[in-house]
Amino acid sequence: MDFNDPMLALSSWIGQIGDFGLDLVWRFIHIVVTLWHIVSGIFESVESYAISLGLIQKYSSIDIEKLKCLAVVVDIEAARDVSKVIELLQWLTTIGVKQVGLFDSQGLLKKSKDMILEMVPRSVLLQETGEKHISPDRIALEFISSSDNKEAVVKAANILLEKYLKSIHPENGVGENVFTESHLNEALRVVGESVHVPDLLLVYGPVRSHLGFPAWRLRYTEIVHMGSLKYMRYGSLLKAIHKFTGVRQNYGV
Amino acid sequence: MREHVGKSSKLFNGFTTIMRRFIFKVLCVGPIPNHISFIMDGNRRFAKKHNLQGLDAGHRAGFVSVTYVLQYCQEIGVPYVTLYAFGIDNFKREPEEVKCMMDLMLEKIELTIDQAISGNLKDLKVIFAGDLNLLNERLKVAAQSLMELTEQNRGLVAVVIVAYSTSHEIVQAIRESCVRKCVDGDSPLVLEMSDVEECMYTSIVPDPDLVIRSGGIDRLSNFMTWQSSRSLLHTTAALWPELGLWHLVWAILKFQRMHDYLQKKQKLD
Repeated sequence: MDFNDPMLALSSWIGQIGDFGLDLVWRFIHIVVTLWHIVSGIFESVESYAISLGLIQKYSSIDIEKLKCLAVVVDIEAARDVSKVIELLQWLTTIGVKQVGLFDSQGLLKKSKDMILEMVPRSVLLQETGEKHISPDRIALEFISSSDNKEAVVKAANILLEKYLKSIHPENGVGENVFTESHLNEALRVVGESVHVPDLLLVYGPVRSHLGFPAWRLRYTEIVHMGSLKYMRYGSLLKAIHKFTGVRQNYGV
Repeated sequence: MREHVGKSSKLFNGFTTIMRRFIFKVLCVGPIPNHISFIMDGNRRFAKKHNLQGLDAGHRAGFVSVTYVLQYCQEIGVPYVTLYAFGIDNFKREPEEVKCMMDLMLEKIELTIDQAISGNLKDLKVIFAGDLNLLNERLKVAAQSLMELTEQNRGLVAVVIVAYSTSHEIVQAIRESCVRKCVDGDSPLVLEMSDVEECMYTSIVPDPDLVIRSGGIDRLSNFMTWQSSRSLLHTTAALWPELGLWHLVWAILKFQRMHDYLQKKQKLD
């Protein structure tokens, strides 16, 4: 017993030193990773400025027709700064993007919809214009939040449930098959949702995450992380759109 | 000479194992993802890159990656791993290729069943999720057997996603929840979110914290878009058979850097 107590204390002490050592190594690795991100960020900034000055030839022309629908996900903190969102939309208008879906999880941009439409030249609300009737000189904007994601699908599901119940045959208790993707698309339109799938999703925030963008619409969308909205760069935007126009989709085949 | 080479090889393997365990011990100082999903892309490109013969050559190489990834996740202590093995869109490939992939899956499931019976699976629990009715009968039965054999295991839960797409999952979940509502006479005939979510193929696992896609593509390709609202999406240029220890470590380090932000987002929800 007397011999065990010091041994236990010693092994506990050794364990604590070991944990402390591991902690130090972990923190050191993270410092190195952070430094790597800083250096990589500097290179990206330099490249972005070069692109915006037109110094890199390949980004001087973009086949914008390939980008039918762009979506922009904005982190909730960034969404409070509407002026930056307006500036981004003005850049997108310059590039020639015709349709933009703006998403933030809490719907802050929805609340600022009128101001944004007023401040972005030649912008219209997508719902008013309909997807097929956007004039060449206009940019159609759509405002999306988390309520358009899972909640909207559940509302649409209840429409399908109603249809199913109405179609149940009294003899066999089996209803019509109203459970297909096209039925769900229709039900989503009935509850006021767009079902258009964006080609490209730009994420402005600290993390590459779609932050709850409507799952039903996100199937084959290219998702690109653009970094912070506060420090957004025109060159990086051009680069992301240019890269998209070079992408070839297999759709799993 | 052969003994000498064998001894050196054993020593080297021992050294790499110790180094790997040390790296994982360091990694585990920080938060570890509760659930990592893998979109295993790039097998065909790998086969083309290395001039491998056979329609399933790339996928065979990919299976080797699967075994390593599961081993690493088990050693790190990740509780749930999801592997996107075959999507519904993949059925549109050439019939010979689809048959090859199904046969390969069957072969690997039967191999894993043998390992489970001989006690070599290290407490791994294997679950197959997706529309299993789209698979051929033999494959379905084999998958079911493997699930039953490993049901009581309490180690890493490896969910193999086959015959799946988010859009198919959502539609089937709505169908299933509607039918259940109709059968259950007691509750009101209104669907709640929980009714739909509990009928999803992937309801058996929590939402992923980290989604790793190999092959350099920036899409989710109709995979778990419903469940990945708060996931860190990580793409690596490495093709799936090339994915190794350092790719996984890098992804987890990225997750650890962003962990506080992701936790804050989850709390806001």
